[in-house]
Amino acid sequence: MTINILLGLAVIICLVGLFFRFSIWFSQGLQPSPSPVTAGQRFSTAVGAVLAALFSSKAILIVRSFFVDLLFQKRIFDKSYLRWTAHTLIFFGFIMLFLMHALDSVVTANFFSDYEPTLNPYLFLRNLFGVMVLAGLGIAVFRRITLKPQRLKTNPADWAALVFIAVIILSGMLLEGSKISSYTTYQNMIEEYGSFDEEESKALEAYWVQENGLVSPHVTKPQPSELVASGMEVNSDSCMECHAPNSSAFASFAVKGVTRPISAIFGDATAVNLFWFLHIVACFSFLAWLPFSKMFHMVSAPVSLLIKGAMGEDDKEAPANQLTHQMIGLSACTHCGSCSLECSSNMFFESFQNDFILPSEKVQYLKDFAAGKVTDEADLKRLQEGLYVCTSCDRCTSVCPSGINLKDIFVTARYSLLEKGIPETSMLSHFSFPLALAQNFAGDHLRALKKVTDLFKKSFQQLSDVNLPMTLSKKQGVDNNSFKGCFSCQRCTNICPVVRSFDNPVESLGLLPHQIMFSLGIGNTELAMGSKMIWSCSTCYLCQEHCPNEVELCDIFYSLKNDAINKMEAGANA
Amino acid sequence: MKYAFFQGCNIPIRIEQYANATEAVFNKFGVELQVIPEFNCCGYPVRNVDEKAYILPSVRNMAIAERAGLDILVICNCCFASLQKARHVLDNDKELKDELNAVLANENLEYKGTVQVKHYLTVLHEDVGTEKIKSKLVNKFKDLKISVIHGCHILRPREITRFDDSFVPAITEELMQTAGATSLDWQGRLECCGAALAGINDELSHMLLKDKINGALNAGAEYITPICSYCHLQFDTTQKNLIEDDKNSKLLPVLLYPQLLGLCLGIDEKILGIEQNSTIQPDDIERLKSLLGPPVEEKKRRKKKKVTA
Repeated sequence: MTINILLGLAVIICLVGLFFRFSIWFSQGLQPSPSPVTAGQRFSTAVGAVLAALFSSKAILIVRSFFVDLLFQKRIFDKSYLRWTAHTLIFFGFIMLFLMHALDSVVTANFFSDYEPTLNPYLFLRNLFGVMVLAGLGIAVFRRITLKPQRLKTNPADWAALVFIAVIILSGMLLEGSKISSYTTYQNMIEEYGSFDEEESKALEAYWVQENGLVSPHVTKPQPSELVASGMEVNSDSCMECHAPNSSAFASFAVKGVTRPISAIFGDATAVNLFWFLHIVACFSFLAWLPFSKMFHMVSAPVSLLIKGAMGEDDKEAPANQLTHQMIGLSACTHCGSCSLECSSNMFFESFQNDFILPSEKVQYLKDFAAGKVTDEADLKRLQEGLYVCTSCDRCTSVCPSGINLKDIFVTARYSLLEKGIPETSMLSHFSFPLALAQNFAGDHLRALKKVTDLFKKSFQQLSDVNLPMTLSKKQGVDNNSFKGCFSCQRCTNICPVVRSFDNPVESLGLLPHQIMFSLGIGNTELAMGSKMIWSCSTCYLCQEHCPNEVELCDIFYSLKNDAINKMEAGANA
Repeated sequence: MKYAFFQGCNIPIRIEQYANATEAVFNKFGVELQVIPEFNCCGYPVRNVDEKAYILPSVRNMAIAERAGLDILVICNCCFASLQKARHVLDNDKELKDELNAVLANENLEYKGTVQVKHYLTVLHEDVGTEKIKSKLVNKFKDLKISVIHGCHILRPREITRFDDSFVPAITEELMQTAGATSLDWQGRLECCGAALAGINDELSHMLLKDKINGALNAGAEYITPICSYCHLQFDTTQKNLIEDDKNSKLLPVLLYPQLLGLCLGIDEKILGIEQNSTIQPDDIERLKSLLGPPVEEKKRRKKKKVTA
């Protein structure tokens, strides 16, 4: 009765949770400008796309993807045999336990008419599958610990998932172990299935104590072998038909000793009930917890992988589907960290100490961002920097075992955040190059860039703002003091292809290269940092190469840019 | 000979043909290129923001190559310059070297400074050598006019990159000659393609790019050969984007040096990925192949050239 109520409760929570997670697929999204598409429209567009795919040649791709990506997990296999082994052990062990053991009355009993949970192969297989899951979990823990220096981040939620599954398996083994040794359980079996005379009972008990791990209050000493032998006969006549030797439940048989102290304290019947309760509660809680945790990937990762399998590289999605696809992707992340391990920007993470530079950490936060839950300015700013400090190498997208289109998510999220109004100074870096190349969100990029340029203008004084005459100052702001060698021959300015590009370079660039050296010479670093020239420098090094007095102009421009960004950041934060 | 093959971030995802063609060419000369998945970004993109953050990734990459016991062969100019810069900086700054090594120590890596960083053209020109290349030629071009754009960061600053004479580069010249192609002297061959300004100041970036395209076309170039991956993307992708806005302009097709040399070595054009260059049309490839002939004696060719000149 209680079990049915608990099960009912767990199923209801699970279903509500699933509904909640599915509704997020169609109601949330990352986008620079809010789209007018409603959740209903997104749902129907998605159904349309799925039907269209199923009734086209894509169906073959989907079937292929089902076997290759879902069952075989090829994407993991290609990247790491160790991780593939771990996942496969957990995946198959867990699924088989679920079908064969948890759903035995529905599945196993229907397929095999002579099914008894106490018979082999079922008794043995349950243990085998359990041990498989535990071995997989062990590898997963090992991986998380050993890869920590390689920037694999592990959240409490990741440990929780590992512990949860371990508790389910271990409590099951302990339950079986306590049953094996329980005298009450043994007596119940005798009462229910057997009718023995006293002698037979004694022999059987002796045999079960000796061979099947039973702990009997009457049998404490080793029994004579004749008695055990006749017990074995009774066993094979009356019990074997429905009960295989307990030793074939090898894992539970091995851990049965662990349960004895508890049986000794509470009595073996209570101990069995206790472990049963623990096992049932663990399983039901897992069921209820599933939709709200990363274990939801059991549903979303297959969907994500099938979409990836069906979609070609150049297939265009309807905008409504693109949003839905993003949300399915975000929900399919298992925080396995494969993307962060291979992220080309991982050393920038070491320099900036911003977790959001690692793709796996971005995804966690983007879920909240898509839900509109992130409002903290400082967090948003760090997330934005993390999204921008990206080389667009797309490695994360190609390694993701859940087939998430991370590239699309990150690019969209980037412009969606930039829209929020915080100027992003790293836009003034070469991270912008691949974005300009791809020409996605061109308008959004320009708008965001304008915010940075405005911040730049606000942070520095221009030559026109300076009260003349300018005076010498002792303050010097650049490490590279080769500018002291400048004798204003203007070779740099004359060779500069950027200066040459403008009709009125002074107006367009603020200061010309030789003037920047001059302002450094008189100790006015501010003015040098504030000239547009440094951001218009194409870093071609012609000036530096041609300078007759070895002034390292281009390198100085780089440090001026670094300093200017620091000053802008400090000003923006003040 | 075996090198750790440093492709950077752009090439594997955007210019795969550059890596494939390079590998195919080097395999002809028994040079093995080993792809090292642990390599990360060279640091170049962050240089405007933070100089130290720019140095660190290259140091890690060199440490990884040292652990593998291999020298590094680079195809991208900007990666090449970043690696060379990091080496140069750490050679002269023990304190910084210790500081960055402390970061690397988390991953059990250490940069000692024993690794060599070489541009693939240097390896072709010096380690393989033009004589050996000539001996393997199956074909040679005749009357093929090429504008080479070196890209800035391979040439300058010369004391860091140590690639070639930064004012009169000869390596590309000789390599082009070896394949029978004429490397034109054109306005802009040593200048910037505008890539460094893309996304920061697109207008200026496009202006610099158009300058180079016009310079090459005016000199009579049939193809442009960018050495750097950034230059390649400017000419092969941005040029195309610009042309879409302006239907009247002529598209200057991009042909990479390993593709050009590969054809002379008898490597299949599919392996060289020539059609993957988005600015090259099927007629361009046909014309290119029609210019191939049996490798002629160097002397004769020179004489001919003098006569036409």
